Amino acid sequence: MATLVRVDDLRKEFGKVRALAGVSFNVEAGEWIAIMGPSGSGKTTLINILGGLDTPTSGQAIVDEVDVARLDESGLTRFRAQKIGFIFQQFHLVPYLTAVENVMLAQYFHSATDEKEAQLALERVGLADRIEHLPGALSGGEQQRVAVARALINHPKLILADEPTGNLDEANEETVIQLFRELHSEGHTILMVTHDPAIGNLADRRIEFAHGRLVKVTPSNDASRNAYR
Amino acid sequence: MFGRLVKESFVRNPRRKLLTAAALVVGMAVATSTLTIALEVGDRLAREFRSLGANLLVTPQSDTLPVEIGGVDYRPVNEGAYLSEADLGKMKTIFWRHNVLGFTPFLDVPIAIQQSENAAPTRTMLIGTWNAKEVPVPDGTTFKTGVSVTHPWWKIRGRWFRDGANECVIGAALAKTMPGIVPGKVIYVSDETGVNSVQDHSTLAKGTPLEVVGIVSTDDAEDKAVLAPLEIAQNISGHPGKFRQLFVSALTKPADAFSERDPLKMTPTEYDRWFCSPYISSIAFQIKTVLPGTEVRTIRRVADTEGNILSRVSTLLWIVTLTALIAAALAVAATSATTVLERRGEVGVMKALGATNTLVAGIFLAEQLLLAIAGASMGFVLGALLARSLGSSIFGTPASPRLILFPVVLGLAAIVAFTGSLIPLRRAAHFNPAPILRGE
Repeated sequence: MATLVRVDDLRKEFGKVRALAGVSFNVEAGEWIAIMGPSGSGKTTLINILGGLDTPTSGQAIVDEVDVARLDESGLTRFRAQKIGFIFQQFHLVPYLTAVENVMLAQYFHSATDEKEAQLALERVGLADRIEHLPGALSGGEQQRVAVARALINHPKLILADEPTGNLDEANEETVIQLFRELHSEGHTILMVTHDPAIGNLADRRIEFAHGRLVKVTPSNDASRNAYR
Repeated sequence: MFGRLVKESFVRNPRRKLLTAAALVVGMAVATSTLTIALEVGDRLAREFRSLGANLLVTPQSDTLPVEIGGVDYRPVNEGAYLSEADLGKMKTIFWRHNVLGFTPFLDVPIAIQQSENAAPTRTMLIGTWNAKEVPVPDGTTFKTGVSVTHPWWKIRGRWFRDGANECVIGAALAKTMPGIVPGKVIYVSDETGVNSVQDHSTLAKGTPLEVVGIVSTDDAEDKAVLAPLEIAQNISGHPGKFRQLFVSALTKPADAFSERDPLKMTPTEYDRWFCSPYISSIAFQIKTVLPGTEVRTIRRVADTEGNILSRVSTLLWIVTLTALIAAALAVAATSATTVLERRGEVGVMKALGATNTLVAGIFLAEQLLLAIAGASMGFVLGALLARSLGSSIFGTPASPRLILFPVVLGLAAIVAFTGSLIPLRRAAHFNPAPILRGE
């Protein structure tokens, strides 16, 4: 497998606070990586840098042969639209747009809208009957599935999910995790921040952070994957 | 999708939108009314100013120095140059002919008055002029003009003489010194030179009989003179068809630095602009062209007063307009800043998904432009009504709405909305999505 993400001695400081203190690791295309660690350990900072939402203080963060650290503001904007699919803990749907319009919004920022394709993406996440619903009329799990459809619509090279099940009840969590399993089996590359060890075990590898440093990389096995509810 | 985003954005939080729209409506209403008044004020005030009388004086170019005392020319009739009355119709052939509201020729003749054929003569001046003369114009029409147009403040007790009749009006001061002269009385006027050469009044050549038809008050030198039809003065002076001074009342625009420039030193484009503007200097130039051999002078006291008042009124209107626009822009800025802050999360998501700064700014800008269109439309209607009311109270007639101002007001509203939103828009466009998505 080809290396899709290469992180080399990545550092990020917010004033005197060191969020990342020299992190290095690679992610192969098609891999599912779970990023774990206590709050403030630098997980979200890493995701933000890899997703082009933030820039590192030093080091390299190469995604699909693009060094994110070298991109200017407009380059980062293009990078986010073309290569990254974001899934957030808070869903972050636009409240006044319907489910299908929220998916089309990502298409619009990428290139051009295609309502049919957006509808198919929602059908793919099991929301065929919720296409015209506003986010306020959807459950948390449904909103997160809209967010997944939105993240997938532009066929991103890398899916970055920050605590995607953090705001969901058990039933909705299972639905969403099942979606991630399917995405993984289809060959998508996923970096997922999670606090839940059971979900972390579903990934190919668990990368654990503490105080801005990568402290442990644990490959998963079938036994750990099957341990998920 | 852009339209959808703008539409949804536009209909959300209607209270805030109403505040922004209200600021724009008030700003645009004030701008519309002041601009409407500003467009009319020049014409209206210029016409009002014409009650001040003539603003141009035409005299022969080769004239000798006038011996003027209190505005009356005491030169002997055989001195100085004269102008031809027959040429005066040409005044209505110049480019700005419609701005020439009136003109009146004057011919001052020293005379002697006798209340009867053998009475002792009184020396004074006879001022020959027009009361309400039908002047033939070269295009075949006629133009009625006279002292009532160029000297409208002169007050007459009785009535004015008829042009061409053996009638006259007596200056109020002269009438006081000659108690016997009242309207209806006939006086005899003759050339003063005749009186000088004859000691025995009984042998004085019989003067021209003129019926006194009115007493005129001018608060000037004319109060001591006799005013009669120009033809009488011409006959007494022995200069038929001639006159010495022409007072012209013309509608002009206020003088500025450009109008004061020498037309001979202008480029062809500048000359055309100057010639085609109703500056007093260009009208004077055009009169000189149709009345060769004349000198056309601006009556500075009148023209400068008009110019000063017009400039001040215009400046005041511009200040009011500008203040209203700035106030509207500040109100728009305040509501925009709040709106942008409120929608920070939404902007953060859009930017995370790959929305460019331009696109984010475009969404907010389009929303502001929609508000500008709504504000300008309502403001224009309100402003037109306000202008009608102001026009009625200031000028006595309502100012008519000017549709040509609508695109101007639309443009102003767009500028106000854009200027007011500029800083919040820049802020929105440069929001960093990462902290927003973290909920910071």
